[in-house]
Amino acid sequence: MSQVPRSLRACLVCSYVQPQSKFVKQGCPNCETFLEMSGSSDSVADCTSEVFEGLITVNDTENSWVAKWQRLIGYVPGIYATQVNGVLPEEFAAAAENAGVRYIPRDGSANNDE
Amino acid sequence: MSANFLDQEFPDEEDEDDFNPQPEVGSDDEADAKPNVEADDDEDEPSSERPRARSAPKDEDDLKEEDGDGVNAADGEDEGEADGEEDPQGGDEEEDEEEDEDEEDEDEEQPSRKRRKRRRNQFIDVEAEVDEDDEEEPEEEDDMPGEEMHPDDLQELPPGADRDDRMHRELDRQRERQEAMDVEETAARLKERYGRQARAGGAGSAIVPQKLLMPGVNDPRIWRLKCRPGKEREIIFAIQHRIVERSKSREPVQIFSALERSGPMGGSIYVEAARQDDIMPALEGITHIFFGTKPQLIPVEEMPDLLRTRKTKQLEAGMYVRYKRGLYAGDLAQIEDIEPNGTEVELKVVPRLDYGLNEDANAPIVEQDGQGGGKRKRVQKPFSARPAARLFSENEAKKRHSKYLQSQGGLSRNAWTYQGKDYRDGFLLERVKISALQTENVNPTLEEVTRFAAGAEDGTENLDLAALAATLKTSAGADYLPGDKVEIFRGEQNGLIGRATEVYGEVVRIRVEDGPLRGQTVEAPKRDLRKLFKEGDHVKVIGGSKYQDEVGMVVKTKDNRVTILTDSTQTEISVFSKDLREATDSGGVVGASKYDLFDLVQLDASTVGCVIKVDRESLRVIDQLSNIKTLLPSNISNKIERRRDGGSAADRLGQEVKVGDAVKEYGGEGKSGPVLHIHRNFIFAQSRESRENAGVWVARCNNVEISAAKGGRVGTDLTKMNTALRGPNGGAPAPMPPPQQKGRDRLIGRTVRIRMGPQKGMIGIVKDATDDSATIELHAKNKKLPIRKDKLAVIDPTSGNVIAPDASMFGSGRPSGPPGRGGPMGGQTPGRGFGGPPPGAGGRTPAYLGGGGGGIGGRTPTWKQDSGARTPAYGGATSYGGGQTAYGGGQTAYGGGATSYGGGSVWGGGGGGGGMSTWNPNAGGGRTPAYLGGGSKTPAYTGMDAAPTPGFQDSAPTPGGNFDQPTPGAWKPGQYQTPAAYNTPGGFPETPGPYSAETPAAHDDGPRYD
Repeated sequence: MSQVPRSLRACLVCSYVQPQSKFVKQGCPNCETFLEMSGSSDSVADCTSEVFEGLITVNDTENSWVAKWQRLIGYVPGIYATQVNGVLPEEFAAAAENAGVRYIPRDGSANNDE
Repeated sequence: MSANFLDQEFPDEEDEDDFNPQPEVGSDDEADAKPNVEADDDEDEPSSERPRARSAPKDEDDLKEEDGDGVNAADGEDEGEADGEEDPQGGDEEEDEEEDEDEEDEDEEQPSRKRRKRRRNQFIDVEAEVDEDDEEEPEEEDDMPGEEMHPDDLQELPPGADRDDRMHRELDRQRERQEAMDVEETAARLKERYGRQARAGGAGSAIVPQKLLMPGVNDPRIWRLKCRPGKEREIIFAIQHRIVERSKSREPVQIFSALERSGPMGGSIYVEAARQDDIMPALEGITHIFFGTKPQLIPVEEMPDLLRTRKTKQLEAGMYVRYKRGLYAGDLAQIEDIEPNGTEVELKVVPRLDYGLNEDANAPIVEQDGQGGGKRKRVQKPFSARPAARLFSENEAKKRHSKYLQSQGGLSRNAWTYQGKDYRDGFLLERVKISALQTENVNPTLEEVTRFAAGAEDGTENLDLAALAATLKTSAGADYLPGDKVEIFRGEQNGLIGRATEVYGEVVRIRVEDGPLRGQTVEAPKRDLRKLFKEGDHVKVIGGSKYQDEVGMVVKTKDNRVTILTDSTQTEISVFSKDLREATDSGGVVGASKYDLFDLVQLDASTVGCVIKVDRESLRVIDQLSNIKTLLPSNISNKIERRRDGGSAADRLGQEVKVGDAVKEYGGEGKSGPVLHIHRNFIFAQSRESRENAGVWVARCNNVEISAAKGGRVGTDLTKMNTALRGPNGGAPAPMPPPQQKGRDRLIGRTVRIRMGPQKGMIGIVKDATDDSATIELHAKNKKLPIRKDKLAVIDPTSGNVIAPDASMFGSGRPSGPPGRGGPMGGQTPGRGFGGPPPGAGGRTPAYLGGGGGGIGGRTPTWKQDSGARTPAYGGATSYGGGQTAYGGGQTAYGGGATSYGGGSVWGGGGGGGGMSTWNPNAGGGRTPAYLGGGSKTPAYTGMDAAPTPGFQDSAPTPGGNFDQPTPGAWKPGQYQTPAAYNTPGGFPETPGPYSAETPAAHDDGPRYD
């Protein structure tokens, strides 16, 4: 039976969840272009958080309402977190902005107002 | 429109520019280019040449410059030919030659565009392309000149083919153009944003507010399945595994997603699928899912709730948290710093160190950092053994662990590294994961918090109350009342300002005062509101802050923090706006503590203290050992109420010290001041000169000297012993000063012990006495010796108990009889005697009154009361008082020479004979009434003093005065009646003798006086 991997981390931008080692090795499948985490455990530490809650495995990111709600449309299928605590450091947020990705914190602060 | 058209068309021209040159350049490698395009060409256009020509432009940029000339040339030629071709059909388009050309160009370009679009479509959206064209437009316009190419084109184009498409394409183009114009601006923006975005991503949806993402009917539904609690994540990973596994298989997993939420939603997983039937195949065989219950459909409106995220409280430096576990479990810690990614914080905590004191010296050495084996061997220390939380002390650490201790250089000397951890200013600085901390409901107590209040150089405590408040801040938010001016600071109606008109539950109804919604009423949840104050508003702090009840003027507002200038102290304080309310009153009571300044309070069973400072939340107290403590009111068990008499103590010279007396410290600093409190043998006094501790100082009472007794009292205050000054009539002057004792000294006949001198300890009976000396017949030898009265102590002949320690004081001013006896008995007796008069009416008085003696009647009770009042004061001396009475009696009989007063002698006999038992009752009860009966005044006098009685009744001076006045008149009838009366009670149980004896005595006396 598949066990829950240890040292899971969630990407602060897209909430993709995978073990830290994978982040270091391959980076984030969705955000690698601008976060450029692969090979840099420092970047991984900055751009991912080990404090997250609510795992979602998304099979179909295009048609799933969950994916829509979580703003995962267009991302790769995989495991995502509902809530990721932590804030992307300024420079990475800027990088994301430059890449055309609007960084919305996934720590629950974005939808406080509903 | 036309202008727009033009604009619109230029890009197309460019396109053509791009393409037209291509063939020229590309003609060389046509073969290469062709294959790329072929597929498209076939579909798009009948002519393969054109596409071929256009196939190359993929890398337009490279070729642009070269092409420039050729393009323009081509354009020129194109124009001519195109015109010719178009003429027949394009009548409507001819108005503008240029336009036509352009359009033509477009026409020609159209297929290419389509093609290009298609090719690029995978990467780029329509709008973006338009924009791209726009962008390039200026460049191309500049280099109009290329014309060479055109002929080529024309040759290759079968004239008819071009035209066939044209109409359709024209239509398409127009439509497109219109659309394009509408979206032009949007497109520009979009392009700006996403132009470079080569990948489709979730980011695009980011702009859409989540509210618009609410699930609709077309969205998949979510079902809930029960699962083994704690295994949710495992299940999710298992599902993920399966999804990947089967994705390439013939039957991929049909569910869209599956999710879990820990916490309150644990024990279930949620599966998103189009149909319930899809769920089973997808999840079958995954452990920990309970398939026993059917999947439960989640209502559409509840779906967002499944994914609701709540912002965990934002931690800020300075806030307080608690450790969840470990050595410091439950300890309060202050956040020093927060890691950028928000998962770790640096904490400041009071360390719990034993500095190796409890180390087992014989224990096997275990690796400190527990690499490998060390970890396993580490013994879990029992929780109870954890050291007390104390600030780090390098001296302690040096004792045993100096090898672990390193001073950290730097500016502050008070930074250390000890056993690999950093200590600064006594605090341990530690990095801790937020997950290991309790951040909600921290509720730090003031004691805990005060530990973190860094003592500044000047000794002032700088307690970060803002941080404390941030910690204490309750989610409930402020307490709103109708009329409060509020601002919505988040949410859709952010910025709305209005006044609360209604508050119910968590919702406040607001009448908007500003903006477009002015006058309307909106509702907003409390948590989106904050109170709004303007500079200059007069506000009152209503709670949640240590400044409660402070009133002041708003001088600054920033977000939810308001700085106010207090009315009372003219200091600026910052409070949260939720703690404020507009105030109409000014001033304001400064926090009313349960305890006041200078109160004496009980700290614990053995400690008392005097309050020397009252703060809003704390008290400063100086205890009996001069320790200064800052306490919470809750640390004080109670206030010690000042005793009624204030208590007293003796100073080092044995002088009585009472509250209010000025005392001076003997030795030491020689502090002085009035006594505030006396507690046991400690004196709290307040010096007027010192400001330290509000002037309060503490000393043992044998360490002070009284310097001025309150009210000029010097030494032992004997006045308190003078019962005449107290009691019911205390204030009134005694009707008559007790006359000098005359006649037989009451000491005569008493058993006394010699207190000092050579005969000290000997016991004897007083045979004779003068004012200050007595003749004693010693028990031991048959010898009489004169001795000073003050060397004698009156004792009880049987028990040997001391009755009066100083015989010289004996009999002076002592009331007689047991408390209260004189009065009632006196009343009783006459009552009985007369039988008739209402007993309650103070039989005695009426008796005399009845006799007509107003004056004496009036006086009698007075006297009695006096005696009565006095009697209790003598409480301790009851028996003794009784003795006195007896003496009085004895004296009376003696002085008066009246037989009847032989009653006294009767008694005397008793006394003399040591028949205390007889005497006591007599003195206590029997006797007094007897006297009453006998002479009405007797008891009074006996009460006052033994002396007056006889004098009054029998001897000349005093009574004379008395009797000369109304008394005699009253007396006589009274007397005559009395006997009868007294005869009756002759049967008075205990003391028949005296009664019978006395009554006649009265009789005898009476006539004699007359």
